[in-house]
Amino acid sequence: MEAKSVNCEAVQGELMDWLAGTLPAEQCWLLEKHLGQCPACRQELAAAQALWTSLGQLPVPEPSEQLRPRFYSMLADFQAQEERRQSWSVAGWLERLRQWWQPAYALRLAYGLALLTIGLVGGYSLRSRPETSGAGGQELAATEQPAADTRRQQVVLAMLADPSAVQRLRAVGYAGEEAHTNEHVVAALLSTLNQDPNVNVRLAALDVLSGLTNDPVVRQGLVRSLPRQDSPMVQAALADVMVQLQERGAKKPLQQLLRQDDLNEQVKDKLEQSLETLSNDPAPPPSSTPTTSHETPDDTRTA
Amino acid sequence: MNSLTDNSLMLQVKAGQVDKMGLLFERYHRPLYAFFYHSNGNAAASEDLVQNVFYRMLKYRHTFTGEGEFRTWMYHLARNVLADAAKKNKPALHHQDVADWAERLPGGTTADAQLQQTQDVALLHRALARLSPDHREVLVLSRFQELKYEQIAQLLDTTVGAVKVRAHRALGQLKDIYLKLENGSKVREL
Repeated sequence: MEAKSVNCEAVQGELMDWLAGTLPAEQCWLLEKHLGQCPACRQELAAAQALWTSLGQLPVPEPSEQLRPRFYSMLADFQAQEERRQSWSVAGWLERLRQWWQPAYALRLAYGLALLTIGLVGGYSLRSRPETSGAGGQELAATEQPAADTRRQQVVLAMLADPSAVQRLRAVGYAGEEAHTNEHVVAALLSTLNQDPNVNVRLAALDVLSGLTNDPVVRQGLVRSLPRQDSPMVQAALADVMVQLQERGAKKPLQQLLRQDDLNEQVKDKLEQSLETLSNDPAPPPSSTPTTSHETPDDTRTA
Repeated sequence: MNSLTDNSLMLQVKAGQVDKMGLLFERYHRPLYAFFYHSNGNAAASEDLVQNVFYRMLKYRHTFTGEGEFRTWMYHLARNVLADAAKKNKPALHHQDVADWAERLPGGTTADAQLQQTQDVALLHRALARLSPDHREVLVLSRFQELKYEQIAQLLDTTVGAVKVRAHRALGQLKDIYLKLENGSKVREL
């Protein structure tokens, strides 16, 4: 009797494992042996098993179709929130810096830095020259003046590399005042004429450069710029300048430009006129300050 | 380590790849839904609670260490969500509604066997609803969520032996309640 009750207690203790199928084989065998002798335990286990099975078969309705989209929209909100939060953290700033470091920006920045370096080196050499020739009280004034020029120059060069088109337009205006005396500013203006993404800035640069055509560097730069232009407005304006300058060296680049397939019809006419003018007219000495008027080709022909 | 295990996915979420939670959602929204549904019997509320668990997993992702099993951690949060909901909304969340609703299912034209099954299901639902929350929980976790007793012990912060004893008692009580309800409905039928 004593032994049986101990066995029944053991069965109670093992019941849950037996139902879950996690009872080790040896204990299983002992339990089943006991069940063969004990109808009470047999009945209890059968009832428990029936209930356990019924529980397992209890149906669960499918979650509605909204559950999944609701989760994913919550996830998206959470992600957006996280990104906003991160944008204030150090990691966020690093990430933004990485994003800023796009090739276009990097190129512009490198260009700006290169010009700045040229400006600094140029400025430094200008400054050191009066020092070496060094003559008394004049020395001070002589060193101060180039120093101020250099600073202004640096500002202009930096502004020419500004991401804002308005800033660059302003810079082109300032550069016009500086360029008479400085080859670096001239180089920067020519570079702006060839590379600036904004048409207005390129036209402004051309306007300033066409006032500096006494400088052979400027003339050459303008001729070389011809085939590099893709905007009809700049192409036409450049052709005008060539005619005004009676720049015969421009004939070849003009012909080159004419061969481009996607050339604007009006520009084509303008280029042909310009070529004709350049071929017919004898070469007069280059005019000192030509203007960029569009009527010029006709004027020169009638003249 | 397999990068698609639950633990590895959750660690990736923790490291900032929040979108990896999508895969865990696909794996566990049904079991979680069943967990809540068997606990409160309310389909709409269960969906809210599932959503809530996933939100808390995102919000408290830093508390996942990867040492324990992901499922245990998830059910830990699920239990808290359930307890909070019960505190907030005691009368609205209970099994009784669904059991009654299941009982009222139109059965006139269906076969007797199906009717009987529907009634059995309804009775079992009602019996489950009348269990104490502690007893119900241990049955839901072991039977419906198929957690091992070791995992449940970890989850409930107790011993494996204590979990088995509790489950055993819960099953016994469920049987008693079920038989009582069955007798009651038979009396009504007569």
